[in-house]
Amino acid sequence: MGLMENLGKVFNVSLIYATFRASTPIIYAALCAAITQQANILNIGTEGIMLVGAFTAISVSYATGSWFLGVIVAMLAGAAIAMIMAVGHIKYNSEICAIGMGINLFAIAITKFLLNTLFHTNGNFSDPKIVPIPRVELSFLENIPVLNQLFNNWCFTEWFVILFIIILQFLFYKTVWGLRLRAVGQFPMAAETAGIRVNAVKYQAMLISGLIGGLAGAHLSLGYSAQFVENMTNSRGFMGVAAMYFGGANPVLTAVGCLLFGFADSVGARLQAYGFPAQFVLMMPYLVTVLVLAISMAIKLGAERKRESSLVTGDSH
Amino acid sequence: MREYVVEMNHIVKSFGEVRAVKHGEFTLRKGEIHSLIGENGAGKSTMMKLLYGMYPIDSGEIIINGETMKKLEPKIAIDHGVGMVHQEFMLVNDLTVLENVILGFEPKKGLTIDFAKARKEVEHYIEQYNMDIQLDKKVSQISVGEAQRVEIIKTLMRGVEIIILDEPTAVLTPQETKKLFEILFNLKAEGKSLVFISHKLNEVMEISDRISVMRQGEYMGTVDKDKTTPLDLTKRMIGREVFLNIDKTYSKVGQTILEVKDVWVPALKESSKIRGMSLHVNEGEIVGIAGIDGNGQSELIEAITGLRKVEKGSVILNGKDITNLKPRKIRDAGMAHIPEDRNRRGLNRSMSIEDNLIAVEIDSGAYTKGALMNIPAQDQYSEEMVKQFDIRPTDYKLPTSSLSGGNAQKVVVAREVSMKKKLLIASQPTRGVDIGAIESIRNTLEVAKKDGAGVLLVSAELEEIISLSDRIIVIHEGKITGEMPASEANENNLGLLMMGGTVEEEKGGEAS
Repeated sequence: MGLMENLGKVFNVSLIYATFRASTPIIYAALCAAITQQANILNIGTEGIMLVGAFTAISVSYATGSWFLGVIVAMLAGAAIAMIMAVGHIKYNSEICAIGMGINLFAIAITKFLLNTLFHTNGNFSDPKIVPIPRVELSFLENIPVLNQLFNNWCFTEWFVILFIIILQFLFYKTVWGLRLRAVGQFPMAAETAGIRVNAVKYQAMLISGLIGGLAGAHLSLGYSAQFVENMTNSRGFMGVAAMYFGGANPVLTAVGCLLFGFADSVGARLQAYGFPAQFVLMMPYLVTVLVLAISMAIKLGAERKRESSLVTGDSH
Repeated sequence: MREYVVEMNHIVKSFGEVRAVKHGEFTLRKGEIHSLIGENGAGKSTMMKLLYGMYPIDSGEIIINGETMKKLEPKIAIDHGVGMVHQEFMLVNDLTVLENVILGFEPKKGLTIDFAKARKEVEHYIEQYNMDIQLDKKVSQISVGEAQRVEIIKTLMRGVEIIILDEPTAVLTPQETKKLFEILFNLKAEGKSLVFISHKLNEVMEISDRISVMRQGEYMGTVDKDKTTPLDLTKRMIGREVFLNIDKTYSKVGQTILEVKDVWVPALKESSKIRGMSLHVNEGEIVGIAGIDGNGQSELIEAITGLRKVEKGSVILNGKDITNLKPRKIRDAGMAHIPEDRNRRGLNRSMSIEDNLIAVEIDSGAYTKGALMNIPAQDQYSEEMVKQFDIRPTDYKLPTSSLSGGNAQKVVVAREVSMKKKLLIASQPTRGVDIGAIESIRNTLEVAKKDGAGVLLVSAELEEIISLSDRIIVIHEGKITGEMPASEANENNLGLLMMGGTVEEEKGGEAS
């Protein structure tokens, strides 16, 4: 009896929004990784780009009093970081994972340093002068019990992410640029002989990825919360990369992968209230990351093996 | 009007230390088919890739339609009416045929690609040249011949007037080649100018108006087809006469050494999956496997050598069941293997000739002293091998990356043949090597056979299969379509079987 009651407190309607809320920063991060993955560049620097974005958004919002300006400058900062990676990888042909990890370490250090010098504080920074991303109030929902709980008071960038997934899906699979991007990623020589400037497309992908990564960070610091905490991305960028793999760089499937992480995160937070050790709860999203990746790879390999098998006839497709 | 649509004068091009083109000359008239011939590595493909703007020239000049090209890249070449069908198809496997055709030149409707308009345009060309192409299949699902037609359509869609074809017949059966030639003659009749790169003299003599020859990066002259002979062309290509016809001996065939029983093997492509194949090889005979590339020959060899899983059936070597054993165990059971791709599987290119020569014997104890290497023993062995197999340069401490294709392949052949195993698998043993090396490798295989080894030979060159083998097995889409003594084989009956036909069909066709 008591168990059912408690389960009901963990798994109720509000968990749906909690899941989505926890997923949104990861979705932005995953889309940041997905666009470069389509060009066959593994953007492991997503984490760092996002952290720089988060710091920039807070600083600009604090200084100007405009959340919008904060978001825009954060995106530009993300793009700047991404372009450093792009030049190193595309022009000077260095290993993208090495640059990406370098960027991640750099991001932690520079944000900590600037936190210290600009705001004279350590650990975290919050201030009433920081203007967060506004929440969307849908007054017509106020009297409808479940829907109100589900959809009212979403952060602006939480609504936007849904639109954004659709935009990227359209961009990848319906537009000229998307076709070229995929060709560049899968067989650059073919794209080049078709008169496509392969490196230009790769730079464009990195640039857009940087903008998205910056937005991911801005949402995290100005939307998800209203403060900056050292290393506040807390591996969300890596989870985004994992979700991107899970979804094969397809925006919709990638977002589904992110929801899994968000779900683990929210359930974990609730379980803590019922005496589960904090360490276990903190472990959950990462445990899910490993499980999701392992399962998605196993499914992929299994499907591949079946497709390649000589024992089944492959006329089904 | 100008005499030439393309002029390439005094072309020089190096890649690092390698001078691919030392002195290149080429001209193309409107509405002609001009063949560019030469051995592998003579620089003919490089010349045409320069014309298509894939690399910049070091010096010289390229003139297209009277305009001296200062800067050239594929996009610019296409804008000036030059298109190229590459030897390795430039098609993205995961995209559809239609997407591949329009890539880079997509018709737009608002924000999206106008697939309907693209389809209409492509179908127009398909009809005009009577080509057989399925637009909605993914490239990974179509045949090689079809992929090549897709490549030709791609160039036509871009409105080019000059089409370069880089060894287009290398992957085709004789019958498919005939079909391709019809298309090429049609294109010529439409006024297109074509460059045909090849080293197959009979094809060149059939299709060309003029023929240019290159040897070791040097231009060796241009002749009218009517004023030359294959023999004359060979001399220009090689600088001497060659005799590839080896004296085939018919040694006494011994007992069965390899037996493949109803084997099923997985593959990436549907047409490469092996479905129920049985064959055997006896001691003292060469069994040739003929087939169009990608019909399962690579998968079959990988399955026999333990590099790919056998899903059903069994492989028996020397009386021992070796199905799905580790490659090492299979070698120990008496198999040597010249793999089809020397760069990927045959050699470690960053290690020395010597290291590569002893690689498979390293556990035998012959070249080691306890845990240490026995350098003098290695040196002595390497010295012998370099001499016996005429590997150049003779300094066996050099990395194999510094060797030409032919000499690199000789290292692989030396290592595998010198072990004197009872079964030798030779997969594309002369692919991409110069004619001198071809001669010596073929003789080596012949000697191995005379010494009593069973040899299983896979080759894309029908001529090689016919001249070396005692018995020929033809495969098509992972199944055996025919088997015959080499004495009965010719390009026609093998070609038909390679397409999946039967010998009876051909006989019926001749009678009617």
